[in-house]
Amino acid sequence: MNSRRTFLADIGLGFTGLALGSLLHRDGIARAATSEGWRAPDGKPHFAPKAKRVIWLFMIGGVSQMESFDPKPELTKYAGLTFDESPYGHTLQNPLVKKNLREVIQGLHKTHSRIYPLQIGYKKRGQSGIEVSDWFPHTGAMIDDIAVVRSCWTTDNNHGAQMQFHTGRHVLEGQFPTIGSWVHYGLGSLNENLPQFVVLGDPIDSCCGGLAAHGGSYLGPEHNGVQLAVDPKNPLPFGTLAEGMTREQQEREFALLRELNQQSQVQYPDDAAMRARIKSYELAFRMQMAIPEVMQFNEEPEATRKLYGLDHEVTKPFGETCLTARRLAEKGVRFIQIFHGSNGGAGKWDAHSKLKKTHSELCAQTDQPIAGLLQDLKQRGLLDETLVVWCTEFGRTPGAQGLDGRDHHPYGFSVWLAGGGVKGGTVHGSTDEIGFHAVENRHYVTDIHATVLHQMGLDPRRLEVPGRKRLDIDFGQPIKQILA
Amino acid sequence: MPGIFLLLAAAALALPAQDALPLLKARCAGCHTGATAKAGLDLTSRESLLKGGTRGPAVTPGNAKTSLLYRAITHDSQPHMPLGSPKLSDAETQAIAQWIDAGANFTGTIQAEQHWSFRKPVKPAVPRSTYPNPIDAFLEAERARRNLKPMPEADRRTLLRRVTLDLTGIPPTPEEQAAFLADRSANAYEKLVDRLLASPRYGERWARHWMDIWRYSDWYGYRRAKEVRNSQRHIWRWRDWIVESLNADKGYDRMLTEMLAGDEIAPNDPQTLRATGYLARNYSRYDRNGWMQDAVDHTAQAFLGVTLKCARCHDHKYDPFSQQDYYQFRAIFEPYQVRYDRVPGEVDTEKNGVARIYDADLNPDTYLLTAGDVQNPDKSRKLDPGVPGVFQSPFAAKPVNLKAEAYYPDLRPFVHADLLAAAKKAVADAEAMPAGALKDRTLAAAKAELASLEARIAADKAKYATAPNFEELALAARDAERKAGILKAAEVIHRAYQQIEDAKGDEKKIAAAKKHIDEAQKALTQPAEGYTGVGTAYPEKSSGRRLALAQWMASRDNPLTARVAVNHIWLRHFGKALVPTVTDFGRNGKPPTHPALLDYLAVSLMENGWSMKALHRQLLTSQAYRMASTAGDESHPNAKADPDNLYLWRMNPRRMESEIVRDAILAVSGSLDTSAGGPEIDNPDSTLRRSLYIAHTPDIQVPFLKMFDSPNPVECYERSESVVPQQALALANSKLSRTEAERLAERLAAAGVPFVNAAFERVLGRAPNDAERAAADRFLSTNTPTARADLLHVLFNHNDFVTIR
Repeated sequence: MNSRRTFLADIGLGFTGLALGSLLHRDGIARAATSEGWRAPDGKPHFAPKAKRVIWLFMIGGVSQMESFDPKPELTKYAGLTFDESPYGHTLQNPLVKKNLREVIQGLHKTHSRIYPLQIGYKKRGQSGIEVSDWFPHTGAMIDDIAVVRSCWTTDNNHGAQMQFHTGRHVLEGQFPTIGSWVHYGLGSLNENLPQFVVLGDPIDSCCGGLAAHGGSYLGPEHNGVQLAVDPKNPLPFGTLAEGMTREQQEREFALLRELNQQSQVQYPDDAAMRARIKSYELAFRMQMAIPEVMQFNEEPEATRKLYGLDHEVTKPFGETCLTARRLAEKGVRFIQIFHGSNGGAGKWDAHSKLKKTHSELCAQTDQPIAGLLQDLKQRGLLDETLVVWCTEFGRTPGAQGLDGRDHHPYGFSVWLAGGGVKGGTVHGSTDEIGFHAVENRHYVTDIHATVLHQMGLDPRRLEVPGRKRLDIDFGQPIKQILA
Repeated sequence: MPGIFLLLAAAALALPAQDALPLLKARCAGCHTGATAKAGLDLTSRESLLKGGTRGPAVTPGNAKTSLLYRAITHDSQPHMPLGSPKLSDAETQAIAQWIDAGANFTGTIQAEQHWSFRKPVKPAVPRSTYPNPIDAFLEAERARRNLKPMPEADRRTLLRRVTLDLTGIPPTPEEQAAFLADRSANAYEKLVDRLLASPRYGERWARHWMDIWRYSDWYGYRRAKEVRNSQRHIWRWRDWIVESLNADKGYDRMLTEMLAGDEIAPNDPQTLRATGYLARNYSRYDRNGWMQDAVDHTAQAFLGVTLKCARCHDHKYDPFSQQDYYQFRAIFEPYQVRYDRVPGEVDTEKNGVARIYDADLNPDTYLLTAGDVQNPDKSRKLDPGVPGVFQSPFAAKPVNLKAEAYYPDLRPFVHADLLAAAKKAVADAEAMPAGALKDRTLAAAKAELASLEARIAADKAKYATAPNFEELALAARDAERKAGILKAAEVIHRAYQQIEDAKGDEKKIAAAKKHIDEAQKALTQPAEGYTGVGTAYPEKSSGRRLALAQWMASRDNPLTARVAVNHIWLRHFGKALVPTVTDFGRNGKPPTHPALLDYLAVSLMENGWSMKALHRQLLTSQAYRMASTAGDESHPNAKADPDNLYLWRMNPRRMESEIVRDAILAVSGSLDTSAGGPEIDNPDSTLRRSLYIAHTPDIQVPFLKMFDSPNPVECYERSESVVPQQALALANSKLSRTEAERLAERLAAAGVPFVNAAFERVLGRAPNDAERAAADRFLSTNTPTARADLLHVLFNHNDFVTIR
């Protein structure tokens, strides 16, 4: 039971000539077995996966469910009345009000009972005839590939819900591993030249989770998402060799570095940062070639560029992000977490006022790029094995906030999934007549995580880490009804 | 059957009704008593309980089920109570239900136990222990309870590198290594700590820490137009003041007093005035409200560890801070403004000067901003300055009378001398011009200007000395100034006509010249009423508000200041803070892992005259600090019992901060320029000086430093320690690491020392082991011309270079 000896055996010291790539068997870098027989995941799925990778599109600030994927004509019908004056006075008496909410700031975000009408019309779209708002015409055209979940709920009515959406835990409970880090932790690499968990777009602000919203928490820093700038001119800071250095010289240096770091690791087997750093060097060495390639948008044919809206100023920034995501997906990145709407605060989608103006603008920025991504994946035969998730931290109130806004709303909101074994043209779950409570097939945010892990062939209960007790609600339940 | 069993079990567990009141006191009264009672619900007395808060009576005596209190604690109605804390146990809720059902009787009053951090720290008894250093005694008590065995002392080289980097930010030199290893005296380590604390590098290292917390930023804004929008020019003087103060071991109490009120305690001392850069940094050209917010929010967070900022729009949801408290705190800062004072040798304050603050308006209006909205002040009531009511500290600001040189700084003799020298130089320059009409005009104007300046200085001096001949001198100055103005206008007009001729029909140039003529002619027709003083006159008093604040913060009775300071210093030596939420010691923050230790250190700090060097010494000579950072084994029992090392059974290995990575590369290679102080350096590639001297603002940051989590100058109370591949690229591909590896290879060759040993000792602070030496020798045996530089380059990239073990 000398675990240092186990360790030495694991990394094969003494057997010269073995490449570290195979030694570092991915995550735990030859982590020794503990006395309970626990081992780090071996990188293989627990059962046959339906998807190989995930593209996770997160809209920061809270998208209105009523103006996107969950039409509620009753709002227009009773516009201007209070709930009590409408037939829906019982809404606030619903026991779900209690069940859902864990306020960070008591009374700061009210339920606003004066009904605010729909700010945009809806049309039935695709073969399935699912209604999608007119702010999402392109995404709507892809509806037959999409499963809309109209019955999500969460418990934080503040923007801490952004982190909660990624960890399943309320911000008051601290930081926990995020969905991307679980996937990264559970599965082996598909491409040794690229990080397997990539973050695109400006991440969540420190107000609402910051880097922890794509962090690995106790899984260790090697499972944090790696942020990349979508910038073809400077895709990777310090990505080119120092003057006078050659590639061969660097290879020689890195070979020695590997050997020396391994020596050191024998001495410090319990240093998680060191494990992460050794891995980061392996990756860095290969990334400097691979990343600049990924960002070469000019390689793409005109038709593809148009598909993502690169030819229009409004759609270009997010179009480039989505195109980068496809190129990363194609090259084998496991989890691509895309943020949209960062504004150095709660997020641009946070429509406390001027909802019509801001939501319509933000939809215009994202609708075509996202639809382009789906279509492009599809035409390349990648959509079947790529799970695309579109999500946001919570919905918005059916009642008006001020003159022309909607407040935070954790009781019921919509997300959608596509590809990766998801049954397209599906609507699952529902909210009540005014879009307040998720009533049918309710799903807490970890059900989305469970669905993702399930499609990736992972059983979250088998990813447990010793000494880190998880709650039942952390694991969630896969939403089987939307799976093909 | 099981149902009955459960009922019986619950009944057996139920607490008697008389336990209800202690429960209310322990779990509810913290938020629901006194003037800042949340939602207006005050549990102090039966009467106030029955009266209830904004949502009506809290209890219906005799009927628990319909009582709001009961419904809130059973999570039957919103909001669930206690807010943000675990739910009461079934036995506890039942005790309260029984008590309400029985009529909710209580006599006397409930006084809330004050939250721990709002109570003055009292020095606790040191637990009995074999450890000589009280820190270890406190830690051991907690470890013993959890059956954690502390790690043995780290080896001497590791320890030397750790403590040297922690105190100076520069790795030990081979000579320092040899000296420490050779010193076998019992107090060798203590001597080492003293030597490092006496090093001028100590002040630089720790200044950078405090610069994070105090939001140091060089000026930023529209750089091309040289328009300062935030912070101030020459704010570097404040940075130098921090470095110097730390090196001189100025007390923390004195430091905070000088930063908040240096202009009130030492109005005539430019050295001390530099300290007020702390507040000058908040300057915001277009947003006075945001400026005031920064001053309030960050002063509360940095020195008091409280999130007063939450009370900007509404009463604080967790802590006893009302919205009015927030604006009364703001009223302390409301009078202040920024200005530049001249320094000897430079009359142009854009080029050099002291960035400082002063009270511009002694009695400004501060109102509560409804919902925090600057457009919506509650003008029905003007607020007096004060500190939050929970601290029960009367706020008595005494206005400070200033001397003339403080409120009229251009009265200082060096200013006169510099101005006269500049005027004389103008005369000399004019005299050196080629003969002609232009020279005549220019010379006449320059001479008149010199005469005018002399006359105005004389008048100024008489004015502020209240000399009897002031009237007379003022008239003379007026006339001299008038004459200088006329002659200057004549010169300008002459030059302008020349320009029109030279413009050769260029309309733009002609228009510009014509404008000059118009302006000059206007000046000629201006009536002269009095003379213009040579400088700006500021108010003759300062409100004393900030001084009163500083005195309260630096008082032995302040419950927070010392604890917060200790926590910050502890964090930066041990890698984890005692109170994990370093900016929130309030009820929504996390409690300290070692409360008694925190209080012991806080009181010790105050008893030792707030000496930070004494505190460093206390921390660094503890056995805890000297422990090894590894158990050498992942399955060590401690690692299972306390995987996050909350109870400090080993030292935490840390990664160097960004500045230290760069400084250490330069130091190890022998390139570091250790000259101290001075203006911020704009071009990072052109300098070999320490990183804290390089310009750092929200929009200007050194890319290399950025990779290693350099601080956000807007807010950084604790650095992140990320590990990302981009760091590997920065170390592998930057010009910095490559160039310094090459330089060090040359220097080692010149020194003629055994190469591999010297390389490891310099870069990693230790000798190579056999396997490492063999690997290095193999690597060098290829004999490529760059092999040695390559090896050093590898060592800069070695995990153990950036790691402080």
